[in-house]
Amino acid sequence: MAPRVGDARIRVPDHVARGDLIVVNAIISHPMDTGFFRNADGDPIPAYFIRDVVVTYGGAEIARFTWTSGISRDPIISFTLKADREAPLAMVWTDNKGDVFRQSADIKFASA
Amino acid sequence: MSRSDGSSRRLFLRRALLAAAGVIGSGPLLQGEQLLAAGVPDAFDPEVPNEEVARILREISAGKPIRRGHLTLDMPLVAEDGRVVPVIIESDLPMTPEHHVRAIHLIVDHNPDAHLAAFQLTPAIGSVSISTRIKMKRTTWVRAIAATNTGEIWADYARVQVTLNGCG
Repeated sequence: MAPRVGDARIRVPDHVARGDLIVVNAIISHPMDTGFFRNADGDPIPAYFIRDVVVTYGGAEIARFTWTSGISRDPIISFTLKADREAPLAMVWTDNKGDVFRQSADIKFASA
Repeated sequence: MSRSDGSSRRLFLRRALLAAAGVIGSGPLLQGEQLLAAGVPDAFDPEVPNEEVARILREISAGKPIRRGHLTLDMPLVAEDGRVVPVIIESDLPMTPEHHVRAIHLIVDHNPDAHLAAFQLTPAIGSVSISTRIKMKRTTWVRAIAATNTGEIWADYARVQVTLNGCG
């Protein structure tokens, strides 16, 4: 089944030790329309894109991204995180229509 | 982290230009390289193409010099599809509460919206290593600019050849 606009995934490593520098990968389904294209009938496709992404770790904001429609369709973003505590890493994407999409991943330390 | 071919090509061009300018010979060339390594603004920074990019750069730098260094912008030399062009931005600057990168700006000179993205960061992320995918309208320079909490501005540039317009 085709993903819907706003479906999002966050990938973090399975085995994390306290203090590790880990890589976080996130993807969200979104057309990221620039407003410069036309559809098959020749009608302009209005701009429709994610403009704001907030990243929190255990509730504290650790990064914020300001995007334009210059980010590619189905935006991916990867960044590092200093895993110094067990807490959820949450992301909130907001688009230019005001729709808000959320996803989170738990940072857990390996017991083994 | 591997420097892109573009970086070594640019370095080669710089050396060639330094040589052409008649400053070849170990002494002056070494001096030139040391200046480049020290991040002194040099004649090889891409030209600012229009007032819009000039305004964006002024806004980001707030009057401080924009120096090349401490930041790596890794992009393909040739992007066949301008709709999906990979970008990797990395930095060796520390991410401690005392000294860290506060924001990274991505500027594509000849895109309809040149100030493509801004990434506000905090020490919690531990290092600067950001990757994403962007759209490019045509062959042009891409600029990555980092602003630190101490007021330093560091930059790296990549010229990307675009075959298929990704902006409409």
